[in-house]
Amino acid sequence: MEENTPEKVCKPRVAPEAEKTQFEDEALEGLWELIEKNGENKVSPGLLNEEMGEPQASDLMAESGLITVTDGKVAFTESGRVRARDIIRRHRLAERLFADVLDLNNYEQDACRFEHAISSEVEEAICTLLGHPPTCPHGRPIPRGNCCRLYTRKITPLVSALSDSGVGGEFKVVFLRTPMIDRLASIGLVTGSTIKLLQKRPSYVLKIDETTIAIDEDVAKGIFVKENEGQKD
Amino acid sequence: MGCHGECKEDEKGAALKKIALIGNPNVGKSVIFGLLTGKYVTVSNYPGTTVEVSSGNVNIGGTRLLLVDTPGVNSLLPMSEDERVTRDILLSDRPSLVVQVGDSKNLKRTLVITAQLAEMGLPVVLTLNMEDEARDRGITVDKEGLSRELGIHVAGTVAPERKGIKELGQAILETPKKPALSVDYGPVLEEYASKIAGLLPKSGISRRSVSLMVLAGDESLKRWLKANMDDASIAALDAFREECVQKLGKSAGLVINEARLKKASQLVSVFMKKAPEEENRLMNFIAKISTHPVWGIPVLFAVLYGIYEFVGVFGAGVMVNFMEKVIFGQYLNPMFTAVIDKLIPVPIIQELLIGKYGVITMALTYSIAIVLPITATFFIAFAILEDSGYLPRLAVMSNRIFNVMGLSGKAVLPMVLGLGCGTMAVMTTRILESRRDRLIATFLLALAIPCSAQLGVILGMLASLSGRAMIIWVLTVLLILVAGGWLAARVLPGKRSEFFLEIPPFRRPQPSNVILKTMSRSVWYLKEAVPLFILGTLILFALDKLSLLVLIEKACRPVVVGLLGLPQQTTEAFIIGFLRRDYGAAGLFAMFQKGLMTPAQALVSLVTITVFIPCLASFFIIIKERGMKTAISMIAIITPLAIVIGAALNWFLSWSGFRV
Repeated sequence: MEENTPEKVCKPRVAPEAEKTQFEDEALEGLWELIEKNGENKVSPGLLNEEMGEPQASDLMAESGLITVTDGKVAFTESGRVRARDIIRRHRLAERLFADVLDLNNYEQDACRFEHAISSEVEEAICTLLGHPPTCPHGRPIPRGNCCRLYTRKITPLVSALSDSGVGGEFKVVFLRTPMIDRLASIGLVTGSTIKLLQKRPSYVLKIDETTIAIDEDVAKGIFVKENEGQKD
Repeated sequence: MGCHGECKEDEKGAALKKIALIGNPNVGKSVIFGLLTGKYVTVSNYPGTTVEVSSGNVNIGGTRLLLVDTPGVNSLLPMSEDERVTRDILLSDRPSLVVQVGDSKNLKRTLVITAQLAEMGLPVVLTLNMEDEARDRGITVDKEGLSRELGIHVAGTVAPERKGIKELGQAILETPKKPALSVDYGPVLEEYASKIAGLLPKSGISRRSVSLMVLAGDESLKRWLKANMDDASIAALDAFREECVQKLGKSAGLVINEARLKKASQLVSVFMKKAPEEENRLMNFIAKISTHPVWGIPVLFAVLYGIYEFVGVFGAGVMVNFMEKVIFGQYLNPMFTAVIDKLIPVPIIQELLIGKYGVITMALTYSIAIVLPITATFFIAFAILEDSGYLPRLAVMSNRIFNVMGLSGKAVLPMVLGLGCGTMAVMTTRILESRRDRLIATFLLALAIPCSAQLGVILGMLASLSGRAMIIWVLTVLLILVAGGWLAARVLPGKRSEFFLEIPPFRRPQPSNVILKTMSRSVWYLKEAVPLFILGTLILFALDKLSLLVLIEKACRPVVVGLLGLPQQTTEAFIIGFLRRDYGAAGLFAMFQKGLMTPAQALVSLVTITVFIPCLASFFIIIKERGMKTAISMIAIITPLAIVIGAALNWFLSWSGFRV
């Protein structure tokens, strides 16, 4: 896990009046990160203004009722804190999704766009798909969501390669990343299919509907699955 | 093993209406072909039994038709050579009707093919085969409902029991109907499919279906496009395809496949019901342990031991003894000798028939008394293995070993078939995905896979030597195979294909099919082998009469006697080994029986003849499948290699003082 802090890239590219919401999101995110970095729950307004590259950032945010300025320091209001937590959570979940599942290297810009684009339903689905990860790829904590609290006892990721899955389990195919994709599709194995893993050694044998196939470990590594609840025998 | 050169088209075939049998692999197309035409084509329980097209006449109620059996396909977007053959028949042969054979228990995959046939605009009769297996698994299909939905005849069959075959025959005579089953591929693909269709020439199938193949990036279509279109139009096609993929943002082939599967799934949810299955415990148990990482190995040894007992001990021992000593030794040869002595008083002709290199005393005795009982018992054992479904499971067990040889476990199918007959095995390499895989597999087949006749003779000889001799022979041959494959994989450019093989259910072999298959293969063996045995004998006879044999034996002396440490007379076996390896092995067998070789010499000669050049028939097939250059290079590598290996073994045995 990389410990270095990424360059702050989610800066507003338009005037604050034009896209107020996005500006607010970015400022909340900026404040969250400053607080996280400094280890105190308040920071000086100058820091936030500098972070945002906007001399009036603190004042604008205070007008919106998202932050308060007391004793020359800025802190979140309750509504501001909740909104900031959600943004940070979506951003870091997006980073995990792009880094781990999609195997991308330059995902920061996309994560920044993604965080504004998804609903809380999608956010929970991604969190579940990733197995409620505790940290982003840079090692910083991902704020817990409702879905994480429900699944606190589940520690294994919900989506794993077939090569990391248990024999005898029944799985739903989440996505495929293998050159064999067309061959697998030709016998009916596509995203969303239900498969049963019969054995892993000496070769992988799996069953889809009434078809049994044998494949290499290399192919199994490219089949990503999610365990079907209550189906394991 | 296919149809052994009997698949030529009927001469009147062109005038008859053509009907193509199409379907997923291992669904029983060849069984239905056999029942409708009365012509036997090999039927086994593994995908890829049929690798080439056979055709035969059908007579249904006085109407004569030409039926074409094709290799199985999972998609009409071909992914291997055998699948391409099938697609090309539909593309170019314009069948007047397609009889689609489907697996009742795999309705979804069946309907994916039906959807493609519908798209091609071909009339279809669908038969859902293996209804018995579906029933055992609690699966029922509403055939009437499906028939109404698709607007075509949907029959049900249990082919090995002939159930529903008559009804299927009647359905073929009905007015051909095209299935009403259309798949919507989404706006982007549909737009480009119609754009491309506008450029395409007329063919046996609809332009829409060809344009979808183009969009899916089907490489195998290139040849057909080049033959039927000018370069400018092809360039335009490619440009459209590029554009479409850009707009789609993902693989068009995958989107097409998924759309078909989705449509098929919708139909399955309406017309198929699944109840809890009645488990066949014994079959499930056998299926399970046969690929078990630990128990699979004793199972394999048990299978090998069973084959050894049946073929090596019973076939090569008991049966050969009976045929050679009793039938030929006591009855036929004395009878022929007496008759020929009286009827043909010309000494040279007498000698030609019943002399040392006589057509009867050598060619027929070798082929019918020694080799036939061995091959026949081997064919029986092999048919049982093929029909049970064990062979694909062997691929599961041996995938890793094949990886060392630069191949995937799938290559076990042609390799094991090579133990039956090299020519058929070379043709079966068509089921392998890449040219590189086919080349390595062909090389290994030519290098060290003994065919049934040769293997049987070798087993028979080894059985009368010792267990240790057997182990040395097996280990040497395995070592040659693994080392040969390993080297070939390093020399040849490219990466091995990843392992992907469908595993059929374990089935109880049907005695009738085992017998039929053994008969058909034995007849083929006699037809193919006996003339070559006679030719070989005539060559030896001529060489002997012209005193050339002695000269050749002298010339080969440094190699045969010096390097290999074998009796000079074994040269004869190697000479006829050029025609057929099994004939050579039979010659060694006869010499060994007469006590002309020590056990160590026998072992060296067996290893050498195993690696020795492939027989004439396989040589011709290698030329046909892989080209003259490759075939000659293989011979140029293998022949000296056989001598080097034999010499090394000879040197090792005498150096170590190992008692065989």
